[in-house]
Amino acid sequence: MSTILVVDDSGLARRRARNILEGAGYNVVEAEDGMAALERYFVARPDVVLLDLVMKGMYGLEVLTKLRELDGTARVIVVSADVQSSSQELVTAAGAAGFLTKPLDADEILALVQSTLGGNAAGDPNAAQ
Amino acid sequence: MQLSDVQRDALVELLNIGFGRAGASLSRLTNHRVLLDVPQVAVHPVNQLSEHLSTVMHEQVASVHQAFSGPVGGDALLILDPVAAATLKELLTDEPALPLALDASSREVLTEVGNILLNACIGTFGNLLKVPVSFAVPDIDVSSLQAVVNRLLGSGDDAFRYALVVTAGFRLRDAEVTGYVVIVLTVQSLTRLLVAVEGWERNEGRH
Repeated sequence: MSTILVVDDSGLARRRARNILEGAGYNVVEAEDGMAALERYFVARPDVVLLDLVMKGMYGLEVLTKLRELDGTARVIVVSADVQSSSQELVTAAGAAGFLTKPLDADEILALVQSTLGGNAAGDPNAAQ
Repeated sequence: MQLSDVQRDALVELLNIGFGRAGASLSRLTNHRVLLDVPQVAVHPVNQLSEHLSTVMHEQVASVHQAFSGPVGGDALLILDPVAAATLKELLTDEPALPLALDASSREVLTEVGNILLNACIGTFGNLLKVPVSFAVPDIDVSSLQAVVNRLLGSGDDAFRYALVVTAGFRLRDAEVTGYVVIVLTVQSLTRLLVAVEGWERNEGRH
């Protein structure tokens, strides 16, 4: 079962993501800020990270850059309320695997997570290997 | 500072697009159809904001504040009266909420709603006008209208700042919730915004 790390300082946003992802069979771990995200990433070794952009403490872009520095294979999908195409370009240039605007749409996020995992379904034990 | 008819018309259209996006987001969050009113736009010197808002708002308000920066920078606020704030929270969580007693869960929900609505509005400005903006972390405050305005007054040279007040009504299910979006800009930022809006309006008119 693939594991998704959901990083967001909003409990509402984390619950929404968890409901969608667990409903599709993914294992979900959460982090409420950038520092916790970096710690949890190396403990839980998630297959994909869903990362909010504007957070207290470390900004999402900083977390993305750090994660990609520490693990060049980290697959990160940025999720933000920011609808600007310039923000999307910025995170894509920083190595994000995708960009979604809030609030999350179940079909959109599941399709993007699956394509990021290489087309493997959530329950596939060989997913993301 | 007075808006010309052309400027007002273009701003309302721009805000219509922004609020259309915000309405779609709210609809996605609540799983209900959201009906939007046409936003009303007015510009006031920031030090006259309190008297203008007090004609339409209760004394006690819930406000989500988010600063933004870039070629056009300022402060954006979503202001709701306590009943509207409690109604929104109930609609989003199906849990009861008491006006004037917004607990941690209500604050968290409303902060995220404010974040999504303000980003939809300002981000649409950024996209259409091609002026990228960066957002700060949003925060929520439940206090008197005067305290909200005082916080804004204390953060810059008030003689050179204007508030773009957008009255944005929306209805979800049977509940009518009216919120106010206030965007405070320096005269420099407001001028840049209006120049960009006029350019956008001219461009749009060609298509």
